Amino acid sequence: MAERLPVRRWRRLRRSRLFQYLLLQAMIAGLCVLALLPSLPGPPAHYQLTAFNLTEAGAERAMTLPYFSHLRNAMNDPPRFSGRFVRPADEAGRASSVFLPRFTNGVEVTVNGVAILDSRRDPAANRPDRNTPAIAVIPPSLLHDGDNAISIRLFIWGPVTGFLDRIWVGPDELLRPSYNLRTLIFVTLPVVFSSWQAILAVILGIMWVMRRHEPAYGVLAAAMAVGVAQAFLQTPMGDETPFSRLNVVLIAAAPIECALVLTFALLFSGMKWPRYGWVLFLPGGLLALAGLFGNQTLVRGLFLVLAVPMVGLSLVLMAVITARSALKRQNVASFMLGCAVTIMLTCWIADMLAVFQVVPNRIFVSRLSYSAMLVAIGAGLTWRFARALNEVDSFAGRLVTQVRVAEEKLKASFAREEERARAAALARERTRLMRDLHDGLGGQLVSIVALSERGNGGADIADAARAALKDLRLVIDSMDDIGGDLMLALGSWRERAMAQLRPHGIALDWRAGTAQGLPVHPELRPWHVIQIVRLLDEAVTNAVKHADAKHITVRIETLADADGLARGCITVEDDGRGFEITPEGTAAGSIKAARGLRNMRSRAARCGAELELSSCAQGDHQADNQGDVPGTRVRLTLPHRFPDSDGAAG
Amino acid sequence: MNSLSDGSPAEAITVVLVEDDAPTLWRLQDALTKAGYQVKAAGTLAEARACLAQGAPKVLLTDLQLPDGHGVDLIRETRQRFPDTEIMVISILGDEESVISAITVGATGYLLKDAFPTDIAATVRDLVAGHSPISASIARFIVRRTQNTPEPPPGPVLNTAKLTPREIDILWGIAKGFSYAEIASHLGLSRQTVPGHIKNIYRKLEVHTRGEAVFEAVQQGLIRL
Repeated sequence: MAERLPVRRWRRLRRSRLFQYLLLQAMIAGLCVLALLPSLPGPPAHYQLTAFNLTEAGAERAMTLPYFSHLRNAMNDPPRFSGRFVRPADEAGRASSVFLPRFTNGVEVTVNGVAILDSRRDPAANRPDRNTPAIAVIPPSLLHDGDNAISIRLFIWGPVTGFLDRIWVGPDELLRPSYNLRTLIFVTLPVVFSSWQAILAVILGIMWVMRRHEPAYGVLAAAMAVGVAQAFLQTPMGDETPFSRLNVVLIAAAPIECALVLTFALLFSGMKWPRYGWVLFLPGGLLALAGLFGNQTLVRGLFLVLAVPMVGLSLVLMAVITARSALKRQNVASFMLGCAVTIMLTCWIADMLAVFQVVPNRIFVSRLSYSAMLVAIGAGLTWRFARALNEVDSFAGRLVTQVRVAEEKLKASFAREEERARAAALARERTRLMRDLHDGLGGQLVSIVALSERGNGGADIADAARAALKDLRLVIDSMDDIGGDLMLALGSWRERAMAQLRPHGIALDWRAGTAQGLPVHPELRPWHVIQIVRLLDEAVTNAVKHADAKHITVRIETLADADGLARGCITVEDDGRGFEITPEGTAAGSIKAARGLRNMRSRAARCGAELELSSCAQGDHQADNQGDVPGTRVRLTLPHRFPDSDGAAG
Repeated sequence: MNSLSDGSPAEAITVVLVEDDAPTLWRLQDALTKAGYQVKAAGTLAEARACLAQGAPKVLLTDLQLPDGHGVDLIRETRQRFPDTEIMVISILGDEESVISAITVGATGYLLKDAFPTDIAATVRDLVAGHSPISASIARFIVRRTQNTPEPPPGPVLNTAKLTPREIDILWGIAKGFSYAEIASHLGLSRQTVPGHIKNIYRKLEVHTRGEAVFEAVQQGLIRL
């Protein structure tokens, strides 16, 4: 039950929507009918001329206008209307005119035996769909007071049958306003709409060129172009020429235009193109072929059976399609198109009634009502354009919001990441500090405890405690930011080493080659500094404790190697006893000294530095790179780049 | 501390020694007394003030963490009352955290608590002779502060704006472990002028008055008005 209810409600909603739509269209159609019902105002009735003698097909009879002829073609022997009119004597000084509000297809007016008008010379008047009126001033010399003869020949060439509405003869100033009004409505206005159609054709063409994936616009542009060509080209008259033959093709314009607009409606409402859609173009194609290879009579005959029903059929189909689209998609453009189609359909029915002489007039309004379609298309286009702009705006707004949200998320995650990195760095630093304190300070404190427990060796305790303090200072010192300049660490180390050596009476000779001293290593980390300084400490301690040296020289140099890269080099030399170095590079003799050397090597390796040890024992005159001078030399060559990770730490 | 030299012990030079840890106090007192100085020992801030009330000593050696107050206050008071008294901090580690704050109130350098007796005597002797020692680590701290960094480095506030390029060069030399003679030769100076420069450096790092302290804080952007 719960599932059915919405479906039913939806159906009811749709039905009510359809009802509303149909009601609106009916109202529009009703308004159209109301607008079409009253006839256009004419000049004063007493100038109207309706009684004529008609000569048609050799027979003469009296009749009153309007006259519907049954003929479709009467060029060589047209129906002839002869009548008389009276020019009052008091109107002798006023210009008189003959006003023919409506006729199909052409008229020739003769007054007192002189032809004053031939409508066939006016291209606009030759189009039966345009309701073109005609007016002709009667030259005053032709008129005489009292009775005057007037004769009208009605030329008929199809496709509709001949027709002549009531005519007026009288003062020009009274007839002309009526004529002007009809010219404005039936001649000028269509030209304006055709210009509008031409502009639409250009706009839609550009639209299609820029948006090839929407063929609907291309189709509509083609329809507009066909309509414009049809409106501005002339209806062929008289002899058959190749040019006139080409013009005949334009008669096929109406069905072709209908087919194109119908195609547009199909595509625009998003419906599937029917398999037999090409049938829509069949009437237009046939008419075009007939125009090219047949004669004018055939074309005009075909026009009635092909073009006129095609227009009606197209309008009915359009009405269905647009109604569906307007109801289904609630689309303003479709809705407006639907209203326009209703107007056109109403007008087309009115025209059909006129053609079949159901109504006593022959004013064709289909072409005029096409302007409603043009207005709807223009409005629909503008509506779509404005909506697209709004969509772009809202899309941009959404995008800005999304970017802001993403930015904030990113910022938050970045902050989190930074926090995590900081925490990791802190943990690493704690580990390192712990190891450094364990290596130095821890061991020394333990040894102080051990010495104190034995109760003697006060001097040893003092030494161990002093060494512990020294190590504490080293650890703290090494954590300072020295900007990669190892010299800043060595400066403090020199002070500590001098303080250590002074009680032993050992001189420290400090030889730094240049003011800069060593190359700057931005990658230098505190643990590198600790390793290097401890290594140097070890070298100095060895010189004090084991070598009995009197002088220690520290040499600081910057060497350029084969690659032209600068490498720092620190050398510690003493003039002590020296010791023997085994071929494996370790010290022979005491285990303690051997361990000290192993420590130094391991520290150098951790920093990626090269350690070179050479020693010459006192009294040992073997050939050695130290020559005859006794003592030990520790030479530490720093790497180009200090390693990132403590590879040898584990 | 490169300028240590062996000379005859000074005579009747008064030293006020402030240290709360008794063994350390004895040790320092022994070293100084053996060198011939007249030492007045104090274990607290109050005792130290009592000693100073008796008259200006030539030298004041003080620990910073005292049971009844901070050594920095004592240094500031002494500096204001006795401008001629040489003041030095006694420190365990010689770390910049304590030493720099003492320098800004008028101390010149520091003495390590575990220094050898001869070194203790020699340091005081140099101080009295007008040679203000400056250690490599303190020099390093000062020159790192002279470098422009986007955010102020951690640690005590220090205004290095008044230091001249030459003085900064000298500090670089000391920080890198060069002796006065080496610095002088690198910079094309006379060996004898280096201690004078160092004394100037100490004077310039000192914040003299309350008003000046505020002014410098504003200058460094530590206070926003």
